[in-house]
Amino acid sequence: ALRKNGFVVLKGRPCKIVEMSTSKTGKHGHAKVHLVGIDIFTGKKYEDICPSTHNMDVPNIKRNDYQLICIQDGYLSLLTETGEVREDLKLPEGELGKEIEGKYNAGEDVQVSVMCAMSEEYAVAIKPC
Amino acid sequence: ISSGNPTVQTLACSILTALLSEFSSSSKTSNIGLSMEFHGNCKRVFQEEDLRQIFMLTVEVLQEFSRRENLNAQMSSVFQRYLALANQVLSWNFLPPNLGRHYIAMFESSQNVLLKPTESWRETLLDSRVMELFFTVHRKIREDSDMAQDSLQCLAQLASLHGPIFPDEGSQVDYLAHFIEGLLNTINGIEIEDSEAVGISSIISNLITVFPRNVLTAIPNELFSSFVNCLTHLTCSFGRSAALEEVLDKDDMVYMEAYDKLLESWLTLVQDDKHFHKGFFTQHAVQVFNSYIQCHLAAPDGTRNLTANGVASREEEEISELQEDDRDQFSDQLASVGMLGRIAAEHCIPLLTSLLEERVTRLHGQLQRHQQQLLASPGSSTIDNKMLDDLYEDIHWLILVTGYLLADDTQGETPLIPPEIMEYSIKHSSEVDINTTLQILGSPGEKASSIPGYNRTDSVIRLLSAVLRVSEVESRAIRADLTHLLSPQMGKDIVWFLKRWAKTYLLVDEKLYDQISLPFSTAFGADTEGSQWIIGYLLQKVISNLSVWSSEQDLANDTVQLLVTLVERRERANLVIQCENWWNLAKQFASRSPPLNFLSSPVQRTLMKALVLGGFAHMDTETKQQYWTEVLQPLQQRFLRVINQENFQQMCQQEEVKQEITATLEALCGIAEATQIDNVAILFNFLMDFLTNCIGLMEVYKNTPETVNLIIEVFVEVAHKQICYLGESKAMNLYEACLTLLQVYSKNNLGRQRIDVTAEEEQYQDLLLIMELLTNLLSKEFIDFSDTDEVFRGHEPGQAANRSVSAADVVLYGVNLILPLMSQDLLKFPTLCNQYYKLITFICEIFPEKIPQLPEDLFKSLMYSLELGMTSMSSEVCQLCLEALTPLAEQCAKAQETDSPLFLATRHFLKLVFDMLVLQKHNTEMTTAAGEAFYTLVCLHQAEYSELVETLLSSQQDPVIYQRLADAFNKLTASSTPPTLDRKQKMAFLKSLEEFMANVGGL
Repeated sequence: ALRKNGFVVLKGRPCKIVEMSTSKTGKHGHAKVHLVGIDIFTGKKYEDICPSTHNMDVPNIKRNDYQLICIQDGYLSLLTETGEVREDLKLPEGELGKEIEGKYNAGEDVQVSVMCAMSEEYAVAIKPC
Repeated sequence: ISSGNPTVQTLACSILTALLSEFSSSSKTSNIGLSMEFHGNCKRVFQEEDLRQIFMLTVEVLQEFSRRENLNAQMSSVFQRYLALANQVLSWNFLPPNLGRHYIAMFESSQNVLLKPTESWRETLLDSRVMELFFTVHRKIREDSDMAQDSLQCLAQLASLHGPIFPDEGSQVDYLAHFIEGLLNTINGIEIEDSEAVGISSIISNLITVFPRNVLTAIPNELFSSFVNCLTHLTCSFGRSAALEEVLDKDDMVYMEAYDKLLESWLTLVQDDKHFHKGFFTQHAVQVFNSYIQCHLAAPDGTRNLTANGVASREEEEISELQEDDRDQFSDQLASVGMLGRIAAEHCIPLLTSLLEERVTRLHGQLQRHQQQLLASPGSSTIDNKMLDDLYEDIHWLILVTGYLLADDTQGETPLIPPEIMEYSIKHSSEVDINTTLQILGSPGEKASSIPGYNRTDSVIRLLSAVLRVSEVESRAIRADLTHLLSPQMGKDIVWFLKRWAKTYLLVDEKLYDQISLPFSTAFGADTEGSQWIIGYLLQKVISNLSVWSSEQDLANDTVQLLVTLVERRERANLVIQCENWWNLAKQFASRSPPLNFLSSPVQRTLMKALVLGGFAHMDTETKQQYWTEVLQPLQQRFLRVINQENFQQMCQQEEVKQEITATLEALCGIAEATQIDNVAILFNFLMDFLTNCIGLMEVYKNTPETVNLIIEVFVEVAHKQICYLGESKAMNLYEACLTLLQVYSKNNLGRQRIDVTAEEEQYQDLLLIMELLTNLLSKEFIDFSDTDEVFRGHEPGQAANRSVSAADVVLYGVNLILPLMSQDLLKFPTLCNQYYKLITFICEIFPEKIPQLPEDLFKSLMYSLELGMTSMSSEVCQLCLEALTPLAEQCAKAQETDSPLFLATRHFLKLVFDMLVLQKHNTEMTTAAGEAFYTLVCLHQAEYSELVETLLSSQQDPVIYQRLADAFNKLTASSTPPTLDRKQKMAFLKSLEEFMANVGGL
């Protein structure tokens, strides 16, 4: 069953469910579910309405924390728990990206949380460690 | 007034209206610097003399106008003004002659004033010509909807006349008889205007509510009968018009309002069985009941959805989940109709039975035809559902009425079989064949009329079995794969009814009744085949619904509530666990396989709760062991298997693992919900093991907010349901676990920066849950059912020294964590805001000694929060903050430090409370809380208080006001000089404060 705070695929995008309500056509009709989701990567809002018996796709969401090693050419170098280095993740744009750069330049140790869903992957949070 | 000149008369009327406003104690009074007490005295003098004179003048004018024919526009405008003035007089809130001061303020807010004049009005109002005049006036102007409002309102006020104005019962009887005559003369034989409906029903409702039964029955019999006939006629007619309003989807539902009022009056009237002989109202009840049923059934039996000219209208509108179910939206109407149905049980129960049975047969036939059609041409979607929908809607209303007729909905109390129903069944039990009755009950798949001797069965049981027949048709349609044709609404109605019925009738406790009907005790009594059968049947229904209707959340929820009803009482649970189905359900749920795992999370939680409750039924040790092995152990085993895997860290983000964890956490919430005083020991130990592991999970899932949220929720539920039963050492375990939880949360979230779009929402939810957790932990200080022995054992010297954590530590740690995260923006969420202030008030009340020890930042934000709460939040929050001040000031007084930050802070609060009480428009609900805080603050800062008083007085220009204020302040503190923190003095002060408020309020 879908749940508020859970995830769902809307219009082919992985979304977090922010609103879920039901309605029916006529008093004796069957329930329809109205879903509002926010794309977990772009923040764009998507809506869908479907019969409540309908099956919906749910994205598999993975989150990993990595140690930041360095920043090069706009890419992050990250140390995984198994000791490998990943260099395929972009430095995020905007506030968070600046924050990471600032901390890195100041020589602070930073842990980066990376979220992965439907073969897309982005850094979404940092925490000093 | 007597000039005959309309302009002058209008002016006179305006002056009088203004006078009335000024002397009344309403918000219309302008602020002219009178104390409330003085104002009250003026009002009292005014109402005895001048008000009466105004009324007499008004009556004269009305008399004059009512005699004239052909009023021109200007004249009728004057007429209308005087009518409104009369209404204002009759709605006057009379102050009784001897009433304590503090009531004066209270009276201001009351609405819907009933007419209770003082004795001096006797001659004026008991003069029958006055009453007659208002009837005459109404007859004259009733077609003018504006004026009719006023004239009917005047009559409604006169219908509520009571109090010392009546010298004896006789005069009250005369007045009432006269009034009813006038009323009947006015409304009989006329066609009521739309604009009259509400007014007329108010008149009747006032008569029935205000006049005592013995007065009502003392009026001439014939007159009383006509009155009740008229009431019956109006009720039925308003009911029909209300139905029309619904069809036309009118915004202003005047007939619905009038109908509600009359149905409520019926309830008041028939609930008294002392003054009316048995059966007095039966025929009337039959009529009202019939007309209600008729309005709710489709043609040809009824008139539902028919417009006035008989055209059927039907539209499929979108109904959102926020729309209340009919059973709640019309609960008042249904309760009245159900009550009338009981009074006329002889008629109504067989009527409902035959209507339901007939519709069951039709529904069955209709579904069969659909099935054949589908088989003949699969995929054809040309099925017309109109016929089905009409049947569903009919059955819907019939089940609702049946539910309200057969049983009451009680909260917390044991619902009893209504005496009328019991008597009805007993009365006929000699003509009833018990075996046939049981056969009717036990064969829901067969047509009732196909059973030989079906007419010699108990009617109440037959009505129940009619609902079971509906349920059976539904179940068969599901088995025939016709679920898509069924109505989830009807499914809901069925389980709602069965739950309501089971609570009252299933395994009746014979000790609760003087006498019990034999058919009832044979069919549903303890140790009967009947009750075992029906429990099996209900269980089967529950299981079927949960697997078929998982996508209809409301229906699934009603279903699982029925299941809880079956197991929450030990007697019923004992039978439930004997059913194999129950064990199957438990196993199936434990296996987390479809279809049960498709259920929404609240339904799954409640299902878990029911399964746990069932485990406390009476079983032998071996069975019990086996039961828990089936229900709880798999949960533990699966969970431990997952988290103890070597590579759990790496696997934890895999979808199956996450689902397993989520399901476990949900189940834990359900288990906590099942807590009762007699199972808390077992459940607490079981849950405690999990809680420790959950803290580990917090670490593993630190970057997965939805899981973190759910983990905190488990702690909230456990604390909410269990803390009040825990002895000291167990409570300590829980405190420790909560503290660790908060520490881990804090460690993982400190300095964390997120960009994901839902970050704010998620943080808000975490905070709300943490505050709930802290509040739940604190609630132990108010509500504690724990075994006192254990509490005492905890006080043994050895143990007390071992205390590692106290509630205060956890809570303050939590507050420490929350405060930096709270922002004024977050306080705009009303739930969060209320929860926050509830929490800090609790802390100030329970641990005032901890407040001065807080770190400086924390202390400052706490004080700032209090100030904010007092000055710019809702009145509820303001009240909470005021309540927090008293213990803080007392704490200061105890500590006797005059330079501590808390001492300085309380000085600032003194000024705030002083301003609130003396200068601002005062909310009387707050006087007590503000007064207590004020007194303790005054004790603490006497010099500052004197200074505040001096400053206020010196700003007064007017010597009279100056003197009154000065006197008032002197009196206020006179009984408590010097003020000390002594209960007696404090009470004296609070009393003087009330006087003070009455005296200077508004100055």
